[in-house]
Amino acid sequence: MELLYASLQSGLASLASYLAAHVLLCLVPAFFIAGALSALVPQQSIVRFLGPDAPKWVAYPAAAGAGSLLAVCSCTVQPLFAGVYGRGAGLGPAITFLFFAPAGNILALSYTGVALGADFAIARVVLSLAFGIGIGMIMALLFHNSDTARLASGAIFAGGEGITRRTVTFLIALIALLIAGTLKVDFLTARLVSFDVALPGATAAQTLLDRLVPVDTIKGEEGLSVQGVVLIVMLALIGATALRGLGKVDEGFNRLTTLTLGLIAATLIFAALGVQATVGGLNLVVTGRSIAVVALLALLVPLARRFDAWDLQQWLWETWRFVRMIFPLLIAGVFIVGVIRLFIRPEWIQAIAGANTVTANLAGVVFGIFMYFPTLVEVPIAKMFLSLGMHPGPLIAYLMADPELSLQSILITSAIIGKLKAWTYVGLVALFATTSGLAYGAWVDGAPIAAIAAAIAAFVFAVVAALYFVDKYRSPASA
Amino acid sequence: MDIKILGSGCTRCQRLEQLTREVALELGVDAQFEHVYDMAQIMKYPVLSTPALVVEGEVKVAGRMPSKQELALWLGKP
Repeated sequence: MELLYASLQSGLASLASYLAAHVLLCLVPAFFIAGALSALVPQQSIVRFLGPDAPKWVAYPAAAGAGSLLAVCSCTVQPLFAGVYGRGAGLGPAITFLFFAPAGNILALSYTGVALGADFAIARVVLSLAFGIGIGMIMALLFHNSDTARLASGAIFAGGEGITRRTVTFLIALIALLIAGTLKVDFLTARLVSFDVALPGATAAQTLLDRLVPVDTIKGEEGLSVQGVVLIVMLALIGATALRGLGKVDEGFNRLTTLTLGLIAATLIFAALGVQATVGGLNLVVTGRSIAVVALLALLVPLARRFDAWDLQQWLWETWRFVRMIFPLLIAGVFIVGVIRLFIRPEWIQAIAGANTVTANLAGVVFGIFMYFPTLVEVPIAKMFLSLGMHPGPLIAYLMADPELSLQSILITSAIIGKLKAWTYVGLVALFATTSGLAYGAWVDGAPIAAIAAAIAAFVFAVVAALYFVDKYRSPASA
Repeated sequence: MDIKILGSGCTRCQRLEQLTREVALELGVDAQFEHVYDMAQIMKYPVLSTPALVVEGEVKVAGRMPSKQELALWLGKP
């Protein structure tokens, strides 16, 4: 009974501090960006660079771009992958697209940055970009015999609309909002004005919260502030109004739409304030961040008005669709992580993956392959591992392998390109994920960057050379 | 009129079907609807992304949600 209570409390505590700390300034704008990318950016604007006649140096970056800009939704990944493979630029760019999409999209990126730190987000993007293109090229090289037999018809890739300038400005403003809300730089954290609001009971409330959700810096538990509670309540309110306000917006704007958007803006502004419980009241601090968030929100209104009503409706509807699709899974995931955390001894993690060794990195990869977590849940899990003492190297190896090699992506791949190619892909991802973990771990441990680069180059060269010889011996037999 | 919706079963695809049906009803168009879920079938059409709408064998839109006005234009009697 006591154990049940303890695990429930641990789960709820992890959920509460998650909702209060991470969600608002990072995930809320990120969902709106994802909605805008999906509703306002015509797919042809990127896809046209992926036709059968596209030169390699255009096709591979374009595939990565498509992965990060278009693939927030699973209904895009599958047809686009099949299309690029079957009628467009071929196996290589298709694989690059498939590899980069789960790590390079805006939701994954911003969430990793806020939960684990900017260095992890950057490492994730750089490594998956480099290895995504690398694996794509290796696959293309490896299967180039069977790859030429495909039907070439460039018509569906041709022409189409480009991204309009108003969409670009709008996206930039949204991304600026995301960055202003999350980045930890002096300019944004500088205290400008501070004033006290008399609120008897604030101290008592904070004491109660500290007892319910204890702050534990060693275990990485952040506790819950009075501000956090207010934010959670506001979040619940937004959820209630958005059900109709955003869920039905494609039938026309309604009064709840305005209310929902107003609430979201108010919540973002409140979250950007510094709030501290003091004796007999609350101390509110206006920082550079608060000003930036208010300014950007004000800027978004005229920018949004430049769109047709239909486009705006689509944007809000898509945003809400992403929230409805991803958020419940995240909530459940975070809660379960909080419960599980209670049962994992830090010594186990440290014994398996406490140092940057080949076995530790392999363990991270294997865990990533066999455990299937829904979109983005890999991030709180990674955070748990990090706080339990996992070395950053194996952690990156895990982060590289988990979303790329889900059951779903293996099934999609083998249905479209065949079992042999699919399992080759799986093997290559496992190999490269281990390598990226080792490389990042070595960098964190202070190894010179030139040595790491040289080691990676040697490794890639060895892989390519090995594959080249395999191919050479195989081709006379198959031709 | 023969109308096909190509979709992998995602929310947007369901929404497109619903919207198209509404417009067809409003215009009083006599239409047969078919929702194509099979990926291999979908790839026979020149589309790269779902949802897509095919009217009388011709792809009208792919990868985005058309407005009701657009739909009315495509379904309008010639």
